Amino acid sequence: MSMEPPTGLGAFPVTKFCMVSTGFVSILASVMSCKYLFLAKYDPFIEEYHQYYRLFTYQFGAINESDVALLILIWYQLKHLERLLGSYKYINMISLIYIYTTVIIAGLSILTNTLLGITIWNNYPTGALPITLALFHFYKEYTPQIYEFEIILSPPWSRSADSKQLKWKLNDQFYIDALIALLLINQGLAGLGCGFLSWLVGVFLDKGLLPGIEGWRLPFSNRIFSKKSTGTNTERNTTENMGNGAVSGTNSVAGSANVSTAELPSREEEVPDDEPARPLGVQFLDTFRR
Amino acid sequence: MEIDGNSLLFIIIILFLFFSSPGGDGVSSQYEFNQLQKLREQVSKEYKSFEEMTYNSNFKDITGLKLSYLDIKNSPEINATYPLPDKHYDSWEPTEKYMLLPDSLIKIIDEEVWYNSNANSNNIFPPNISSTVLGKVNLISNNEYLLNPMPIPRFYEPSTDFSNTVPPEGELYLRDFLPRNKDLNVTFTQGDLTIEISHLNKVASEINYSKKKEFNTQSDKWKLLNLRITFHDSSENQKHSINTLAVYDITRGRILSISQSAKFRSIFAFPHYFNFKADPSDKVFNEVKQLINDYVTTSNYVETLTMSNIQEWYDESHSKCEFMTFLQLEPWNQYTKDQIKMIDDELKWPLGRPANLSSLPPISIKSGLLFSPDCGLHLQLENVKGERYELQVRSIRVQLMFGVLLFVSQIYLLLLQMKYTNTPSSINKISFYTLSMINLVDGSLATMYFIAASVLPELYLPLVISAFICFILASIFETRYLISVYSSQINEQSVGILTLLRGNLSENNEQRQTIIPDDASISSSLYGRFFFSLITFTFLILSSTAWSKQFRMVFEYVTIFALNSYWIPQIFRNAIKGSPPRGSRRNLNSSLRRQYKNPFLWKFVIGTTLIRVLPVVYVFTYPSNIFRHHKDTFFAVLLCCWLGFQLLVLYSQEIFGSRWFLPKLVIPEGYSYHKAMSLQNLLEHGASSDHTVDCAICMSEVPVYVDDVPTTHKVDLDSFMITPCNHVFHTQCLENWMGYKLQCPVCRAPLPPL
Repeated sequence: MSMEPPTGLGAFPVTKFCMVSTGFVSILASVMSCKYLFLAKYDPFIEEYHQYYRLFTYQFGAINESDVALLILIWYQLKHLERLLGSYKYINMISLIYIYTTVIIAGLSILTNTLLGITIWNNYPTGALPITLALFHFYKEYTPQIYEFEIILSPPWSRSADSKQLKWKLNDQFYIDALIALLLINQGLAGLGCGFLSWLVGVFLDKGLLPGIEGWRLPFSNRIFSKKSTGTNTERNTTENMGNGAVSGTNSVAGSANVSTAELPSREEEVPDDEPARPLGVQFLDTFRR
Repeated sequence: MEIDGNSLLFIIIILFLFFSSPGGDGVSSQYEFNQLQKLREQVSKEYKSFEEMTYNSNFKDITGLKLSYLDIKNSPEINATYPLPDKHYDSWEPTEKYMLLPDSLIKIIDEEVWYNSNANSNNIFPPNISSTVLGKVNLISNNEYLLNPMPIPRFYEPSTDFSNTVPPEGELYLRDFLPRNKDLNVTFTQGDLTIEISHLNKVASEINYSKKKEFNTQSDKWKLLNLRITFHDSSENQKHSINTLAVYDITRGRILSISQSAKFRSIFAFPHYFNFKADPSDKVFNEVKQLINDYVTTSNYVETLTMSNIQEWYDESHSKCEFMTFLQLEPWNQYTKDQIKMIDDELKWPLGRPANLSSLPPISIKSGLLFSPDCGLHLQLENVKGERYELQVRSIRVQLMFGVLLFVSQIYLLLLQMKYTNTPSSINKISFYTLSMINLVDGSLATMYFIAASVLPELYLPLVISAFICFILASIFETRYLISVYSSQINEQSVGILTLLRGNLSENNEQRQTIIPDDASISSSLYGRFFFSLITFTFLILSSTAWSKQFRMVFEYVTIFALNSYWIPQIFRNAIKGSPPRGSRRNLNSSLRRQYKNPFLWKFVIGTTLIRVLPVVYVFTYPSNIFRHHKDTFFAVLLCCWLGFQLLVLYSQEIFGSRWFLPKLVIPEGYSYHKAMSLQNLLEHGASSDHTVDCAICMSEVPVYVDDVPTTHKVDLDSFMITPCNHVFHTQCLENWMGYKLQCPVCRAPLPPL
């Protein structure tokens, strides 16, 4: 596997889907003025109104714009995980983590509040914070560090060199660390608490305390991904020849992007085209270019 | 940038001009200053007299309230002065002796309009009733009652010359020259009524002071409202509009509004007019007085009067009747107070509380009466109701999103169509005017969305998104496509229609453009045209909303009909370009078949028609549409038939050939690229000895069929092409070239498209 990830998101369908849907769902909810669907609070929604659906929806959309931006950036950073695991396994892992975090956070909060009799755990995070935190564990665990660098800060008033230098050692992952930290702080105590819990979920899943990481498959996801990579034999061969570094179960990931260009000529065979077929995306851009 | 003394001076002068406009109160001369002083004096005097008023005392020196109905009855020519001899100022009872209303009306209001609320005190009414209610208004009488001569103080009059600094004294009686003002009278028996109700909860205490304060100390029982009442007959010839304060009695569901102008200071009349039974406890009187007092003191009523008040009140005192409106709301007894509070919270700040908003009853007015003391009009409300404002906003939002969906699908269809016609030859067959009509509608919709977004802050986001998508569709995709259509058809400018039908111009030497403008200049001129027509059309539409109903209707119907005839230019274009019927096309070879393919995708044609006709059908057939447009199913059906007819003609052109409706005589022969050549002609073009010519594109030889030389007759006519300028190429070579440009590769003469 090369050190440089492929450019663009063409090779990362799941990452692309997560990034786009994080932004799109929030914008749509804001335009339709139904952002409250992603707002969960124990009091009054769960305790008084019994709107338990909120416990399942709050991860789908973030309410604050800053959270939306942070989450999109984090999903982008997590694309290395998709590269490592393959899209098929990655989407299954995300769905499994979603189920575990939802059940554990909801169960624990309801348990605490009912056992103690007072509402001490009222807030839940909004947006995919729990999922990203659990994935963050896998990211830290399995993505190799590529480089590190030092920032040497010396106090401006002391003339003598290296008297009291401040040395920061940063590596290539400091960016996602900072984003995760911001995301946690941004949602206050709920963010920190639920973030920690979700991180634990990630650890337990990894160590096998929580079952399912090997066997869990989303229904029909297999069919979607195998359909996507038909007709890309050449691409698949090249990726497979590259040394099968990916842990992907049955399918290659990188090939699925350029499917459409390869498919097109066969469909219009009866018309000998003097121009190469242009997919819709290219057509769209051409309106600006030509 | 360097700033020297002169430019600094210039900037200072400009800034001075900017900031030296009249201050917050709008006073710009000595005369106006005195006018405003006079008004403030008058109002503060009246306010003082209001403060001293109790339930057992009459109105004293308050504009418009000096004469009661009985005073006029006793002496019709009486002048409104204070104090009147033999008038009792120290007592009050709800009769015509003290009120502006005749006894018969007092009885009606007490026993019919407000009867319900007097009888049952357990009713529950919603505290927040902001909405727009619609209904009918019936005329009960317009000549039965005596007219109250409300004089207009003359200090309101604008200055007649610049030297004048002191406003005139005295009062002006309209009855002296306008006995029963014809413009103000109501003669229709039934009309349409609209009441826009909005709450007035906060007021600013200074002019131009943006920070507003709550003033109401009894907001659980009384609310101050702004009402905008308009009613007119069905042809909108007689139109009345009243924009006024109102007081809402939450416990009894009663609303009283009294209009205000230079001749009527109604704000001080509210306490007395809420009680129509002699009430010893005077509780209601004191509470309403407290409400008005709160409002006047918090808003600094006297000090915040401005010149615009003077002008507005002066205009209204001339052009409008004063109206007193008595409304009784339908109670919401199916809810408890807590439920109503939850509903209000959910409407104001949606959080998904279990409020079940979809079954919320409308704000409906059970009974209502309008009376004008100075015009003697008595009107009755009938079946007036409307949704809560927030719910209306919600449904509009959903409909806007549906519109966005339509725009997006139109963009998608257009992209498919653009992909389908990707050569100049295929674009050439598309009608420029068909696309321009579609583009004009989309462009003006975008501008109107933009304008609406600035007017409706609640719907800013969906409106801006609609405007944005619509603008992308109109100005990027459609205009882009228009540019390529235009540039592919530029050869045909200044060419007669007959020549076009023929497809070439070999015989007559018509003057034609030799310099073909490049894409950049075409696009800049087209963009200019696009924005110009867009702005003109938008202004036309906006101004048409203010026209009288007849003109507006004619304009609307004609415009909608004309703009929905967008396939007609394409039908003409098809006829001009000419393509054989579908049956005969099957026998052609593939390249020729491609030449005669349909200019538009059927997906695009049908999709576009549906996308464009759906909103029109919705507005014309759904009675409670968001524009409150009247229902006219006949027109909607007619429009659909018209569009269907256009589609039918388009389809028939594909089946029977695009010129089937033209008689054979009219159709001249078209230009054919595949024809034989004469020997002389060939020799002029430098043919070699074996009757071949060099193809300028592939630089290899083209064998040519020459009429005069029988040995060449085995050459296939389809293998080479001869342009109107007599240059010879391989069919394959020239066809490929014509996919890019319709110009002869040798001499740049325009080529008729395939």
